[in-house]
Amino acid sequence: MNIKLLGITLAVAILCIVVELTRREKLTFKYAAIWLMVSFAAVFFAVFDELLFKIAYAFGFKLPSNFIFFVLMTAFVFITLLMTIFLCQQNRRNDKMAQRLAMLEFELEELRKGSGSDEKIA
Amino acid sequence: MKDNILVIIPAYNEEFNIRRTVESIFSCGILADILVIDDGSIDNTVEEAKKTRAFVVSLPFNLGIGGAVQMGFIFARRRGYDIAVQFDGDGQHDSSYIDKLISPILNGEADMVIGSRFLPPYSEYRSSFFRRIGIHFFSWLISLLTDCNVTDPTSGFRAYSRNVINLFSEYYPNDFPEPEAIMVARRYKVRIKEVPVEMHRRAAGNSSIRYMRTLYYMIKVTFAILLDKLKNRRIFMP
Repeated sequence: MNIKLLGITLAVAILCIVVELTRREKLTFKYAAIWLMVSFAAVFFAVFDELLFKIAYAFGFKLPSNFIFFVLMTAFVFITLLMTIFLCQQNRRNDKMAQRLAMLEFELEELRKGSGSDEKIA
Repeated sequence: MKDNILVIIPAYNEEFNIRRTVESIFSCGILADILVIDDGSIDNTVEEAKKTRAFVVSLPFNLGIGGAVQMGFIFARRRGYDIAVQFDGDGQHDSSYIDKLISPILNGEADMVIGSRFLPPYSEYRSSFFRRIGIHFFSWLISLLTDCNVTDPTSGFRAYSRNVINLFSEYYPNDFPEPEAIMVARRYKVRIKEVPVEMHRRAAGNSSIRYMRTLYYMIKVTFAILLDKLKNRRIFMP
């Protein structure tokens, strides 16, 4: 019973942290959604642990704890993959922005020199 | 054709080479504009480049060779150049070959022309033994996966038509981009041709591909080439 209580407390704490971070705009909903789903699942299975055990045995796990570790590891691999996608997207946007900024700076300098933007040098 | 050719020179910490490189192109008789792309250098590359008559665009931070070269394509597209020539800022390329490089595009024979050290008459400097093994491996891999035989897939001495400028301004590989760019080009049915060129050793400084990174380079480029083969969709339609 103590372990169950600990599990529920931790799961609720994680859910509260995610909600609070979203409320304070530290997490935007786009990125918070996956953590909200994970936290809801954690609270659900902490409360209905019998169901968790049943699923674990149904999948052939000898110990329910092994099943929990397996699910957590799998979830974290997918979350990391998702984060890498976001990171790549940000990277591409950064590069594009840097290129656009460099182009604008060049054109601004050209305008300042008063040489006209269409004039070419060679 | 004076106004329609842009020579793109990506430069990262090339303060000792950049001026000489730009002057060599201006003095070789080709009527082209020159664009130096400073890739977030921390030395005096920008100041040195500005002492010449070249256009100088300065990126706010280091994007890597792919991002810098793509900046050149964006510039060329925005200003309506018909041909872009990619030229290294470290003095390895010989500006007297620019003419030969662009002539297949002017004749309508190709959309992308690669300057090769491995076509006869052979260039005196053809990279180190181990790098040559790597280059031949990529050449074999690309010819296996596409119908394109390129003898020098890592050469950064290249010319591009307007179609390819438009394509690469939308998408250009980032890390060690040259071999992968060939795969991208073939995916878009770009006609590729090679012409023999001479190359020299770097005039000063270190190559961006140091010995410690060679293994990473080989693995990364091999994966990039293989993965590109799986991308059969044409995402960008320039």
